[in-house]
Amino acid sequence: MFKRSLTFILVVLLAIAMTPALAQDDVIELPEECGTVSLEYWNPFTGPDGPFMGEMVNAFNEASPNISVTMTTQSEYYTQLSTAAASETLPQVAIVHADQIATHVYRNILRPMDDVVAEVGIDSEDFPEAVWNAGEVDGSRYAIPLDIHPMTMFVNMDLLAEAGFEAVPTTAEEFEAVAEALTGDGNFGFMLTSGFPIRQIFEMMLYQFGGTSFDEDGMEATWNSEAGVEAAQWLLDAQAAWSEPNLEVDAELNSFKGGTVAMIWNGIWQTTNVTGDGVFFDGVATAVPQIGPNMAVWAGSHQLTLPAQSSEDACRDTAVGIFINYLLDNSVTWASAGQLPASASVRASEAFAEVLPQADIAAGSADYVFFPPSVPGITDAYGPLDEAIGALMSGNATDVQAELDNAAERANQILEQNRETFGSGS
Amino acid sequence: MTDVASSEAAVTVTEKTRRFRFDWVPYLFILPHLIFFAIFAGFPLILGLVISFFEYDILRPEANRFVGLKNYSNLFTRGTVEFPVFWNALGNTAEFVLMSVPFLIIIPLFLALLLNTNLTGKNLFRAIYFAPWVLSSAVVGLLGFWIFQSQGGLMNYYLRDLGMMTPRWLSSMPYAWYSILIVTVWWTSGFNMIIILAALQNIPNELYEAASIDGANWWQRFLYVTIPMLRPVLVFIVIITIIASFNLFAQPLFMTGGGPAQSGGGGSTEPIMLRIYNEGFVRNRMGSSAAMSFVVALIMMVVSYFNFRIFRTRE
Repeated sequence: MFKRSLTFILVVLLAIAMTPALAQDDVIELPEECGTVSLEYWNPFTGPDGPFMGEMVNAFNEASPNISVTMTTQSEYYTQLSTAAASETLPQVAIVHADQIATHVYRNILRPMDDVVAEVGIDSEDFPEAVWNAGEVDGSRYAIPLDIHPMTMFVNMDLLAEAGFEAVPTTAEEFEAVAEALTGDGNFGFMLTSGFPIRQIFEMMLYQFGGTSFDEDGMEATWNSEAGVEAAQWLLDAQAAWSEPNLEVDAELNSFKGGTVAMIWNGIWQTTNVTGDGVFFDGVATAVPQIGPNMAVWAGSHQLTLPAQSSEDACRDTAVGIFINYLLDNSVTWASAGQLPASASVRASEAFAEVLPQADIAAGSADYVFFPPSVPGITDAYGPLDEAIGALMSGNATDVQAELDNAAERANQILEQNRETFGSGS
Repeated sequence: MTDVASSEAAVTVTEKTRRFRFDWVPYLFILPHLIFFAIFAGFPLILGLVISFFEYDILRPEANRFVGLKNYSNLFTRGTVEFPVFWNALGNTAEFVLMSVPFLIIIPLFLALLLNTNLTGKNLFRAIYFAPWVLSSAVVGLLGFWIFQSQGGLMNYYLRDLGMMTPRWLSSMPYAWYSILIVTVWWTSGFNMIIILAALQNIPNELYEAASIDGANWWQRFLYVTIPMLRPVLVFIVIITIIASFNLFAQPLFMTGGGPAQSGGGGSTEPIMLRIYNEGFVRNRMGSSAAMSFVVALIMMVVSYFNFRIFRTRE
């Protein structure tokens, strides 16, 4: 898998190098008087995806001699950003996750980029609405989506084939049939843990059953709705019927790799871990099935942002715009690292169609993703829900409605505390 | 009367002259450390205390405001966001201290006694028992996770082979505490052992000889010679072990993530240090986080004080 992606990357790079016109349909140039502009670019890609981003940055530096980008990959990323903000050493471009954008805007780490977006001509129509909206805070644009990383289903096709299934399930009926058929004899049809990402899975089922986590303005938690109870009950029933009970974080990945589990749901970033060369069987990554009446897919998104700077500099901003535009246009390279390009036109391109399994996953999930409302500190409000779902799945709590109510009540307190802390308007 | 007055005056005069000839030399000797102490411990301590009276975020100076004792009162008022999570985490930590400290004293004491004999290869054993101490907490936490995890983890792999029960070490109670306890004992016993061993070697042999001549058996020699001679070192060990156990952080972070989650919120193995960290650096509520730290520091000071008192009155 990795070798294949690497070959692919090289081919893409070669193509980019040989046909400079490819990504330059409506490209703007850095004005002559600017000379050479240096940019610092930070990201949290400490995993196997880091080198892919490094390749893209190198290719950009080759292609644009008057802009020089230095990439720094940090762990403990948000602490690093905070510290850099305090010491006024923020980079010029930084990746921020969709659900962290509002918090970072309110903490004076990010600056608005409406002008840059207008100058480079990035079109909001090119992105799924939910992904694009995640980058808007109080009517200003603070982020451009680079990718989407959705919840993904991983399937052991060898086990499915033995039981006579030829295709991956996409509907509730198909999914239940496969899970049912493959549970027993030491095998499990569908493994669920009580740790990460179980809350994200719950949220996805909540949306599939017609609920939402928060109201539109992020004022109140709404997961204790009928849909929420239905979603949690579905997970509990699924766990009782097809999974080992009370598992710790990552247990489903480890047992899937052991070859005794037919299906698991985890982030798309696990693709190289549990498919291809990562396993001894035919492991396949595909879009999650539709269980409830609505299709919905939990996802995260890496977004390109402009950290706050102490001075105005038009040349720098233009250079940043050119760089961001380049990353978007070439996000098919980034897709090989295991992400889905956020840009719809890139996803529609022939080059992306060849990036498997990402292209398959994109077809079934990119248009169904949802994100929390863009209010500062929204991720804090998920804490009680994490605990409630964890307690339910580990058997420490049994009353679904009471548990969700309690979590909602505590989350509402946190949201109120956040409003008090952050006030209204940055 | 006048005699007394004049002699008093004499005393003040000599005291004055003594104070006048103030000796700078000793202070110069401690100055290098004092500078570092002031910069890296004293100043942050005072700043932390100040911050605990504010709603404080270093990146939003415009929003920092004085809130008096609110950060503290939140911790003691039922129904606030902080109340349940703070006391849950503090309770967990106290539970861990009570569970771990006896093991972390008795096991190293036993090992030290064993390795203070004329055992062949005792230096090798000393090295073996001390070795885990050099590992960083993250390494120990991750090792613990992989040993105790349910899908092919070493612990359950061997327990199954032995036909014993294979609990979910990391995701059910009380096994989550047991696994953290086992890892902590394995990791830190070596340090206590080395200190006790050094103290054992300082006990003069004549005392044991004298006790033997008086007819004391091994147990009596241990009880009436070894333990009293070890007391000062044991006081020290008990205090630093309580503090170390109070500072529990990385083992639950890597092994259980603070879980398993409890009904109504809060993790069963979430230690107070993890809660303080989250409050300050994930939620960015640094004032509240500082207030929590001071409450915990106060509790630790009280505990340490009583430790000293108990051991001193016995002497």
